[in-house]
Amino acid sequence: MAVLRTNNLHKQYQLGEVGINALSGIDFAVDSGEFVAIMGPSGSGKSTLLHLLGGLDTPSEGQILLSDQVFSDLPDREMTITRRRRIGFVFQFFNLLPTLTAEENISLPLMIDGQQPEKFQGRIDRLLFLVGLEDRRDHKPDQLSGGEQQRVALARALVTEPEILLADEPTGNLDSKAGARVMSLLRRSSDELGQTVVVVTHDPRAAAYADRVVYLRDGQQQEALDLSSFQELSQRVREIMTVMERLET
Amino acid sequence: MLLKLSLRSIQQHPLRTLLSILGITIGVAAILALRITNQASIQAITRLFEESSGRVDLTISPSNEDLNLTETTIRIAENFPDVELVLPVVEARSAIPTESTESDLQLSFFGIEGGAFLLHGIDPLLEPQVRDYEITAGRFLGDDLNVYEVVLVEDFASDEEIVLGDRIEIVTPNGIERLRVVGLMARQGPGQINNGNFGVIPIMAAQQIFNRVGEFDRLDLLLTESSNSQAVEALRTALQARLGDKYSVTYPANQGQRMSQMLFNYQIGLNFLSGIALFVGAFLIYNAFAMTVVERTREFGMLRTVGMTRNQILSMVLLEALAMGILGSALGLLLGIFGARGLAGLVGSLIGAPLTADLDVPAGAVILSLAVGLIVTLLGALMPSLQASRVSPIAALRVRGRSQNGWFSRSGWKLGLAMLLVSTAVLFWNPFPYDPQFILGSLTVFLMFGGVTLLMPSTISLWEKITRPLMRLTFRNSGLIGSKNIQRSKIRTTLTTVALLIGVAMILVVRIMIGSLSGDLLTWLDGYFGGDIYAHSSIPLRSELAGQISGVAGVVAATPINYYEIEIQPPTGDPEPLLFMAIDPATYPRVTQFVFSDSAVDPLAALSRLNQGDAVFVSSVMAEKYGYAPGDALWIKTNQGWKDFEVAAVVVDFYNQGMVLTGSRHDLRRYFRSNEISTLLINIQDDADISVVMDNIDKQFGQRYNLSLVSNTNLREDISTLLDQAFSMFDVMAVLAVAIASLGIVNTLTMNILERRREIGMLRAIGMTRGQVVRMVLAEAGLMGLVGGGIGLGFGILLSRIFLSGMTAMSGYKLDFIVPLGGVITSLIVALVVTQVAALYPAQKAAKTDILAAIQYE
Repeated sequence: MAVLRTNNLHKQYQLGEVGINALSGIDFAVDSGEFVAIMGPSGSGKSTLLHLLGGLDTPSEGQILLSDQVFSDLPDREMTITRRRRIGFVFQFFNLLPTLTAEENISLPLMIDGQQPEKFQGRIDRLLFLVGLEDRRDHKPDQLSGGEQQRVALARALVTEPEILLADEPTGNLDSKAGARVMSLLRRSSDELGQTVVVVTHDPRAAAYADRVVYLRDGQQQEALDLSSFQELSQRVREIMTVMERLET
Repeated sequence: MLLKLSLRSIQQHPLRTLLSILGITIGVAAILALRITNQASIQAITRLFEESSGRVDLTISPSNEDLNLTETTIRIAENFPDVELVLPVVEARSAIPTESTESDLQLSFFGIEGGAFLLHGIDPLLEPQVRDYEITAGRFLGDDLNVYEVVLVEDFASDEEIVLGDRIEIVTPNGIERLRVVGLMARQGPGQINNGNFGVIPIMAAQQIFNRVGEFDRLDLLLTESSNSQAVEALRTALQARLGDKYSVTYPANQGQRMSQMLFNYQIGLNFLSGIALFVGAFLIYNAFAMTVVERTREFGMLRTVGMTRNQILSMVLLEALAMGILGSALGLLLGIFGARGLAGLVGSLIGAPLTADLDVPAGAVILSLAVGLIVTLLGALMPSLQASRVSPIAALRVRGRSQNGWFSRSGWKLGLAMLLVSTAVLFWNPFPYDPQFILGSLTVFLMFGGVTLLMPSTISLWEKITRPLMRLTFRNSGLIGSKNIQRSKIRTTLTTVALLIGVAMILVVRIMIGSLSGDLLTWLDGYFGGDIYAHSSIPLRSELAGQISGVAGVVAATPINYYEIEIQPPTGDPEPLLFMAIDPATYPRVTQFVFSDSAVDPLAALSRLNQGDAVFVSSVMAEKYGYAPGDALWIKTNQGWKDFEVAAVVVDFYNQGMVLTGSRHDLRRYFRSNEISTLLINIQDDADISVVMDNIDKQFGQRYNLSLVSNTNLREDISTLLDQAFSMFDVMAVLAVAIASLGIVNTLTMNILERRREIGMLRAIGMTRGQVVRMVLAEAGLMGLVGGGIGLGFGILLSRIFLSGMTAMSGYKLDFIVPLGGVITSLIVALVVTQVAALYPAQKAAKTDILAAIQYE
């Protein structure tokens, strides 16, 4: 069953007098528990797509359905509540609040939702354990490495048990080792928690953790690559590279 | 080139520039307005005494009203070398009878004056050598010293509808006399005496009219031109020694100086508060420049990359500050000149003489205010400028908004704590009780505020923890997040909080001082203007009048009062002039009562002690100043020489700034041979209509005695209004400080949300609604308000205590420390409301953050 679906999605930007088609006619669906990577060169529209999927932006045309409900035309307040409760975000620049500890940052979405974080202590503890930061729960962001900060951000995105988790270049600001750890955590959340994940990346090594890779170019969906038949990570990377080379020539 | 860059940056944000310089503008305006008014009022007062006394070098007058100067004294004075001319003067208070007598009481800082008309009997031949009368119509007095003619001040004449050639009637001890008006003089020089209610008549005519043949009230001495100030002083001492203590030889302007002093005390307070406004203004400038640096980090980095040196960056930012300082100060000058008119109107009504005509702008004051404005601006901008110059070239490429944990926030608290302790100790110990301008005192207060400023960054986290639950309660979880934000940009937040703290402290200090002062004043006034009707005359009244008025229908009792100038010998120092208030112990308690400092005193016993004679009540001011206590002996200079009186009780009395003794009329007759009365307090029957009784009194005695009658309800209201007017300036200054601080809050929050744009974008992305963003920013502001307001309250109370005890030491006013609950609540509410209102605009701006632009913003 598709958790997230788009119908003929268009997005135009007005840049001065020139209209730019960032996305033109995307039909795209993500099944429950699926881990999808969206790839494409700069300007292909992959971030735009992610922003639309996350309700941070509104499409010029077409619809987005979250669990079969159209949400792309909700007013700001309802859209915000939808983001808060049903969607998880991981950003390239971690974006933690420097005044809060790791644990407090994780519980931030609950706080915003007016909940008492203490009531969710079990869930928070499990997430801290999942991301391997039980012993750093009281550290503030400036006492954590980039990789650790991104893991906190990941736990934060998971704390509301969202229907879908969206990650925008989650490894973009990390070294390869830290990046690999974050990607394997995303993989585990899909495998162990049944979390639906959509990652935007231009890094084949990051995309290799996904079940399926969707390629965008000039705002159009080019090809989808199913990786589930490949077991080895290196093999997946090679497959992705091959498709990329084909598409970019 | 640097200048051009600086000016461009100012041009880019005209509104913000204006907001930032507002603090400087207000501070400069306040200083200038005060200076201008100060000069004008001091001039107005001293001119009354100086210009009107003309070129007179020394004045001889009797030590008490009962003595007179005679030809003998003139000859003694004339025989001194260096004395070129001796001018005898007869001074007589009189009145021009008018139909209505009810409304001509004039209230001012210096007391109550009936519509008195002052006549000087002069020698028209000698007079022009010392005083310049500007005759605008008719002629000056002729050579005949006996003719009944008068020269009046033109304005007074036109008010009274008197024209040249009229024969006017004046009230004298012998009844009505007539004088022909032969000339009118301009209200200049001597024309300003007694506020222009003034006229001159030939001296011998004056002596005849007022029963003073062969006697004079004053001798004005003109010395030879070669006399320098030392010679004048030597002559004064010699003359005084020769004449003995029955006469005083003084400088003519002495009296004016004494009056100026009272006004001066008032203006010191205003000066201090304008200093506070500037102090807070400096924070605002700091804030604005810190904001500039935050915003333009990239620009500075870029400029460094293309080869600008650190010094050039520093100069560029300081030039910008200079330009803003000039702009702010210039606006301040305009506002100051404008504001001086309003202030002068107020002070004019306080001293009972219009000032608006005398407003020139002293160059010194302009230069001073300008310099202060520029220095404060540059000081405020110095730290951010240094920060700007330290921006490294790669900053152009780096993430912005790093927190700087410099020395200031790390170790500043040690210095701050030391400053705070030292200044508090110094203020309590008060080593400069007679510091004439309160300069050292104000410096210590500023040191105290400096200490708080340094202490704040290290303690802000603590305050945040204390107030956090409240913020969470008010703004829910957004409040919690906002509250924690306060720990960032500590310096900026701290300065804003301290600015608010100072403003709140000032509001409270002003409210407490006014509360304590007017609390005492009103208690005293109730007694002082006891009874129902206050009757006053500008001419001396006969003592029988009290009995006669008691007989008027509706009157229960009338008690006479007379004020008499005397000299006492305090336990230490020189003799002091003060007023002897003579009352009738028998009738006084039937009309009103004394407020005794010690509530255990039995009023009737104290009054009966007064009635036995040789006893006085001292004011609490004198008790405090000289240490008099009941039972002590107090030495008074009487007609029979120095005589000791027993201090029977200490009473609250602020008349003549508390320099007043109360004694019996019997003692006044016995020791000063005076049996006159100047004021009557009248008590009427409960069921009587006050206006009817006043009418009755007026009909029977009003015209004959030139009585001014006022109902005490009206009088107390008038006095309250006068007090409120005087105090309102203090309130205005304190509120200005808070207003400036609130601009700082707008700036700080705007800066904060600018720096945290990406963070706010993230919060919106993960589900924070716009309303929650607004609440988060409001919580941040609320915290500043709560901390600034709360600590400000503490400081306000501490400072008020210090000021009150300082005032007691300085003036002898013993003031009760009353913390007005209303004032405390008002200050706190003002702090909270002001911060919330100031936060609205930044909060709205934060809520409107474009999520996509913000999270991609790098």
